[in-house]
Parts: sequence; C-alpha cells; structure tokens
Amino acid sequence: MVRLKLNKIIIIAVSLLLFSCKADVPKVKGEQPNSQQSIKIGIIAALSGPAAGYGNSIVNGFTLAASEINKAGALNIELIIEDSAGKQEQALSVVKKLINSDKVTAILGPTLSTEMRLVGPEANNSGIPILATSNTASGITDIGQFVFRDSMPESIAIPFAIKKAIEKYHIKNVAMFYGDDDVFTKSAFDTMKSTAEALGLNITTIEKFQKGQTDFKAQLTKIKSTSPDALLCSALYNEGGVILDQARKIGITVPVIGGNGFNSPKIFEIAGSSSDGLIVATPWFSESVENPKVLDFISKFEKAYGSKPDQFAAQAYDGLFIMAHAIKTAGSADRNKIRDALASVRNFNGVLGKFSFDQNRDVDMEPFVLIAKDSKFQLLQ
Amino acid sequence: MHLFIEQLINGITLGSIYSLTALGLTLIFGVLDILNMAHGAVFMFGAFTAVLIVSKLGLPLWVGFLGGCIVSGLLGYALEMFALRPLRRRKNTSPLAPLISTIGVSIILENIARALFGSDTISFRTSISDINFKLGEIDINLINLVILAVSFTITILLYFWLKNSKSGRALRAVSENPDTAAFLGVNTSKVITFTVVSASCAGGAAGVLVAMAFNSVNNEIGLAMGLKGLAIIILGGMGSVNGAVAGGILLGLAETFVVAYGDSGYKEIIGFIIIMAVLLIKPQGIFGTTQKVKV
Amino acid sequence: MLSYLNSYYIQIGSFTLINIMLALGVYVPLSTGQLSLGGAGFMGLGAYLSAIAVTRFGLPIPFAIVIAGGVSTLAGILVGVPSLRLKGVYLAIATLGFGEVIRVIFIKWETITGGATGISAIPLISAGTVRFLTEQNIIDSSNKNVASDLTVFLILFLITGFFVWFFVALKNTRIWRANSAIRLDETASESIGINIHYYKVLAFSQSAFISAIAGALYAHTVSYISPSDFTYHRAVEALIFTVLGGSGHVLGAVFGATVLTIIPEALRFLKDYRYVAFGAILVIMMAFKPEGIITDNIFRKIRKK
Repeated sequence: MVRLKLNKIIIIAVSLLLFSCKADVPKVKGEQPNSQQSIKIGIIAALSGPAAGYGNSIVNGFTLAASEINKAGALNIELIIEDSAGKQEQALSVVKKLINSDKVTAILGPTLSTEMRLVGPEANNSGIPILATSNTASGITDIGQFVFRDSMPESIAIPFAIKKAIEKYHIKNVAMFYGDDDVFTKSAFDTMKSTAEALGLNITTIEKFQKGQTDFKAQLTKIKSTSPDALLCSALYNEGGVILDQARKIGITVPVIGGNGFNSPKIFEIAGSSSDGLIVATPWFSESVENPKVLDFISKFEKAYGSKPDQFAAQAYDGLFIMAHAIKTAGSADRNKIRDALASVRNFNGVLGKFSFDQNRDVDMEPFVLIAKDSKFQLLQ
Repeated sequence: MHLFIEQLINGITLGSIYSLTALGLTLIFGVLDILNMAHGAVFMFGAFTAVLIVSKLGLPLWVGFLGGCIVSGLLGYALEMFALRPLRRRKNTSPLAPLISTIGVSIILENIARALFGSDTISFRTSISDINFKLGEIDINLINLVILAVSFTITILLYFWLKNSKSGRALRAVSENPDTAAFLGVNTSKVITFTVVSASCAGGAAGVLVAMAFNSVNNEIGLAMGLKGLAIIILGGMGSVNGAVAGGILLGLAETFVVAYGDSGYKEIIGFIIIMAVLLIKPQGIFGTTQKVKV
Repeated sequence: MLSYLNSYYIQIGSFTLINIMLALGVYVPLSTGQLSLGGAGFMGLGAYLSAIAVTRFGLPIPFAIVIAGGVSTLAGILVGVPSLRLKGVYLAIATLGFGEVIRVIFIKWETITGGATGISAIPLISAGTVRFLTEQNIIDSSNKNVASDLTVFLILFLITGFFVWFFVALKNTRIWRANSAIRLDETASESIGINIHYYKVLAFSQSAFISAIAGALYAHTVSYISPSDFTYHRAVEALIFTVLGGSGHVLGAVFGATVLTIIPEALRFLKDYRYVAFGAILVIMMAFKPEGIITDNIFRKIRKK
C-alpha cells in the first residue's frame, strides 16, 4: 500500500518534469540566414511581483514597437517574452532558457538592475547582444562588450536635476533621505551624495529608511529641525509618495529633489497635492508636444493600451527600434555584426529624442528637468 | 526642546499602536500557548479593508474602522477553525506544529492580499488627516491625538474586561489550565475561539490606526508589524497584558529616539536587537510570567 | 536526452541542490527538537565571507569556501550555546532575530560588503576547470557556457551528495539515537546520562556549516549577491522543504527541496499563487500529516516487502 504511494509520488514528479520540458521545444532550428525570416528576440520582464508595474509597461512598449516594425515589412521580429518576477534567480533561469532553448538572436531587458547583474554576464559570455531599457544603476554596461543600455542612468539624471534646482532656488544646504536596503535607492543616493559634495553643498543630515516602512515621522522631524533649503530623496514610488505626503504634513515646505523612483504618475495618486515642489530629471516628457513622432507614439499607445505611455514604455519602444535598426544595418542575424552595429548607433531618431550610445555603450543624452504642480509634471524653467 | 516633545509624541503614538498589536498577540499566546505568526497579516488585511472602504466606497471613517475590525475578526475565526483547531485534535503534536501552521497562514494571507490589493502603496486620506495646530513652538497633528485616544480606550476596555467580567475571568482560567477550567464548567472551545477573534479584531484596529497615522498602506506592513509584535511580547513577557502595553510604548520610544539622536538606519532593527538581548538576559521578559494571561 | 544537457535545466538542477543543502540545515537541528529559522543568516554569512575572500583578498575559491564554512561553524557554536536555555518557540524567534541582524550588518557594513548594492562579478566555481578545459582545447567558445554550468552542477552534486550520505550513514550511530532521544524528551535523556548540551550545539553548528557552504556555493553560482537574497523568506522556504518532505528523515528534506524547486518551474503560469500554495501546504501538512511525506514508516514497509 505504501509502496504504491511512493511510486505514485515518483511518477507524478517525473511526469511534471517531462511536461515542463515539452513546453520548451524550440520552434525554429538553426540560424536565420536572411532577415526576411523571423528574428527571435528574447524579452525578460518582471510581469509579476512588486516590479510588475514597470514590467508590464515595458512589455507594452515592446509589443507596440514590434507590431509597427513587422508591419513596415523589412524585418520580421518574433518576441519571446519571459517573466522574471523581479527575482534574480528566476531572471537567470529565464535567460538561460532564452539562450539555450529558444536560441534568441538578441535580448532586451531585464527590468531591474539587480537582475542585470546576473543576466548580463550570462548573455555577454554567450555572445548575445543585450539591451537594457530600464536599468538605471551604475556599472551596467561595464559588464561586457555585448551589454548596452538606452535607459538614462541616475549618474546623468541626478546631477542635472540638482544643478537646475540650485540655479532656480539658490540652494546651499541640503538634507538627504534614502532607502539603505535597496540597490537602486542606495545607488541613486551615492550619486546624489557625490554630486552634492562636488557642487559644494552643505549636507545638513543624512537619514535612512527601509523598504516597506510607512512611518517616516521621526526621520522627517529630524530633517525639519536642520532647516535645509532642499531635500534630496532617493526612494521608490511607494515609499517616496508617502514620504512626500508626511513631509508636507509636518511642515517641510522646501523643494524635494527625487531620483528616478519618483518619476511615476503613481506619486500623484499617493501624495496628491503634497507632491507640489517635487523635482525629477527624466528622459521622457510626453508634454514635449512639438515632435510629431512623439505625438504619434502617444496616441497609438493610448489606443492600444488605454493609458499614456510612461518613460519605461518609451524607453522600451525606442529600444526595440534601435535593435531593429542595428539588425538591418548588420544585414544578418549574426550576433557579432549586430553588436557592432549597435555600438555605432548615433543620432537615432526616437521618441526620446536623438539617441546615441557613448563609447561605453551607455546613454548619451540630456534629460528634461521637471517639477510637479497640481498633480502634473511641468518643465522646470 | 520642542523638537524633543515632538519626537516624544511621535514615539508615544507609535508605541500606543504597537501596544494594541501586541495585546492581540499576547492574548493568543496566553490562552493557546501559540505564537501567532499570522497576526501581522491579519493586521494588514484590517488596514486595507478600512482604506478601501473609505477611499473606494467613500464611506465615513468610523465605518472603515468597523469594517477593518470585522474583516480581521473573520480572518481570526478562519485561522482558529482551519489551522489551529485541527492541531488540537491530534494529541501528540510538537509545540512547533502550531508555529509552522501560523507561518503557513501568514504566507497565504500575504499573497492573497498581493493578488487582491496589488503591490503598490495605497494612500489613505481621511477628513482629519490634514489638521494641525501649534502649542507654543510644538507642531501637533490632530491625527496623533485621535490615535492615542482610540488605542488608549481600547486597551483600557480590554484591561477591565479581562479583570472584571465573567468572560474575561473565564479566559484567564482557560489560559491558566484548560482542563481545570473545563472541569469547572467553562466552555473552553468557545473561549478560545472568542479570544482568537477578539485578538484579531484588536490587530485589525491597530492596522486601521497605522493606516490613519501614516496615510497609507502596502502589503509589507504586515510582516514588519508581526515581527515587532513578537519583540514587544518577548520584552514585556509573553501572556502579560501589562507587558504588551509597556513593551509597546518602550519600542515606539526606542525606535523614535534612535532616529532622533542616533542613526536612523537602525530604526527597524531595534526590535530584533531587543529580542536577542532579552532572550539572552531574561527570556521571560519584564513582567516575567509565561503561559498565563496575567493582568 | 541531449536536449537535457541544456543550461536551463542544469541551472534548475543546481538550484535544487542548493535548496537541498538549506533543507538539511533545517533538518539537522530539528532532529534534536530545535527549530532554527536562522538558516538564511548562516547562508548569507557563508556567501559574503567567500565572496569577499575571493573578490577582495584574491583567495582561491575552494579555500574561500572552506574558510566561509569554518567561520560560520564557529558562529553556529556562538549562537548555539546561549540558545541552549531557550525552548521551542523562543529558540525559533531568537534564530530568526539572528538572521535579520546579520542581514542588517551586511547592509550597514558598506565598506566591506558593498551595502545594499551587493557584490558583483564573483568568480564561478567552474572558473578554474573551464580555463583548464579551454587551454587543453577540449571545449571552445560555443560550448563554454554549457561546460561551465555542467561543472557547477557536478561540483554541487558531489558536495550535496556527500552531506546527504553523511547524514544517512549517521542513522544507526550513537549520535543519531541521542538526537532522537533529545527530540522526544530532553529531561528523560539527561537523566539517562546523555549530554544534551553537546548534541544540541553539535547539531546547531552542523546546520550552520551546511547553510554556510550552501551560501558560499550560491555566491559562486550566480556571481552576484546582495543582502536581500538572505531574508527571513528564504529561511521559511527551507522550513517548508523539510516539513513537507518529512522532518524525521534526511531523505525527506531531499525530497521536499527537490519537489518544491522543480514544480514551481513547471507551474510558472501560476505566478503569484505559487506562494499561496506553499502556505497552504504548511497548514495542511501540520493539520493532517505533521511528520511530512517521507517518514521512517515508508522505508520500514518497503524493506518488509
């Protein structure tokens, strides 16, 4: 009786294993010799878990771009989309699947910089070009020759934001507040701190918080007591929105300069009118209405997905177009040729503006500096 | 000086919410000898319910508050019926089984919450959240006072109920010795169910207060609060009502002052440091008695 | 069959082996009646020690892993001794607290651990072997990755296999009998002359060692670690493996870890509900079969037949 039970368990386990294998039989074998056949591009995105908001936006951008590219006819792109749930280990498993089972030509993603730390070396060592469209930490493209990025890193965005704020508000003393247990918020903080020091600002106090906290009163009270001219805050939008709200409530009225985490319409949902005076730098400002390409993109996106595109969708959209452009230039699905074509992209006309890779395969662009007023972002003049 | 008072108010308000959470934990431990690791998740559900009632349905705050308490109470009932009671029916389970079972419940609840409410923070605007006034140099938020008043009231009510009412005494009898209590005519099953439900209600109430105090909820607050609740009852003494209250206030003050005068990076970890220190020095905690609900 | 020699599946195999080690880390103290939720802490300790030794001090990988194991064993003793006076639930919480405090130390001690940013570009355990094979022209750039992944898997397999064999072989020894006695009734065990302190601390330090080795190997498998890899959630996962698989037998831990690592990959489409299932497993197992799936009874019955 018991033997039967043990056998049953083994049978179930083995069949599940086999079942999961069946699902991964690659669809097309061998290399694609000419670009009229399908080019397989792997997408790694966080479609579940806490980063799903970003991930879904990104995948929407890719999907829209792919349909337009395929409609234009010169190239036929097949997207193979995998969910990493924002977890590094899963991202690593998924990239191995894309490289070994699906045999993709190139990869776009992953969503988080932390995932890239595992995924990047894997792709690089396999000679597969990988383009990050949402990583903003430092050192991403240093991972290897095959690693590219079109998402503006904090190391460019933050100094711009701070400089512009100083110009406008004559800031001399700043307080700093950051999440010390999260890779982005810490990395953005490091940039903020070195920028502040380089610009000769006086740092009145540095306070920290941890993920998931909803009570910042103690730290904010302390910050208020040091009378800063501005608050440099590095947080993701969940904590960021609450911080803004509580800061205004206890009487901190000075401008708040935020990192990329604040760059989201969710800030307005959470903080409401407390968000007035928030300053962020962003590569994507959809109100820059002069560019017809941008308007076209926004309306197509809204029609397809019911909401306006955010920076993640925009960077993803441009990312796929840049990749397609490189594949066309390379003339084949040869990964080395594609890599070289990517590296030489200059002044590509995208919805983010004129895009170029610098000699480190990183972003070479200037951001917009925005300030929040009445639950909307506008250019900081 | 006024900064000190502002931080003091912050600390005591925080502490009063912590006490309320710890009360629920300590009651369950006292009566069942079980550390309810799902308490934090129940707390979080209470908070989310209230926020949704007020923000999405537009109903007044007290309805949200009640809604939060009721949902938490129901979850407590489910916890008792489906996870804890089956365990009591088996005679020779190790004491770790209920602990592991409640960990399981907390995982279930946390993930259902994520599926239902999403991972994002939801803001909680109430009619009183924006009212501040000044007492001399000191900035005071009305909401802090409301929270203090509500948690204080609930705590005192609980205290007197335990000490003086018939059902309160029954609860204490069961916690002392369930067999003797049954022998003396107490319906132990009913008492246990009632304890878990009211403890969970208290947890839910604390959750709503937290949402009010900090204007937002997200699904990480459950775990953090559950672990802090643990720290408090270990500090105060598991099963001791006085301990829960004292411990809660002490933790609130400790967290606030470590930020005000020390390094705010240690705010969340203070709870754990307390746990380790107490377990090393005096595992029974300040008010010393284990396994009994003592007032 | 050759399609199985594919990095994706090998990767899952490698993660399974690491999870088996973590499950053992819970099983061993549990066999003396101690519930340790500090596995994630020791895992992190092992991972960081090894990663730092290799990336910052340039030590060779095997050396670094051994050091990581050794230091963590000492840490295990340091935690195990004061924990002797704690029973059941209190012990579980103390170990949980330990795990969290260690994690915060990783975050705070930025200069040496990199803080929340973590440590990247950690060399893989297969690095030396791959280099050798490439020089000997046995492999080239087209199969370098698979070779590397395979090497990693084999090394993990050997080490995990050793641990499992060790604890299975332990079964009819004095140590195992003492542990079982302690688990059932400490006072009685003491009264018949068993040195319960010795066995309990021994179990604890063994757990620390295994978890630390698992951590060090993890660091050299994924090449990037950060404090958020070693949270309370991971300790609870290891607990689930052991509880489901069978807390009374070594192979129970192996079974639980294997099944619960592989099935989620097969059940990808369940996404977030995967964890609801995990939680439900815990509750149901405790209510109906707290000993887990693999128990001594199964082996006894098989042997009888």
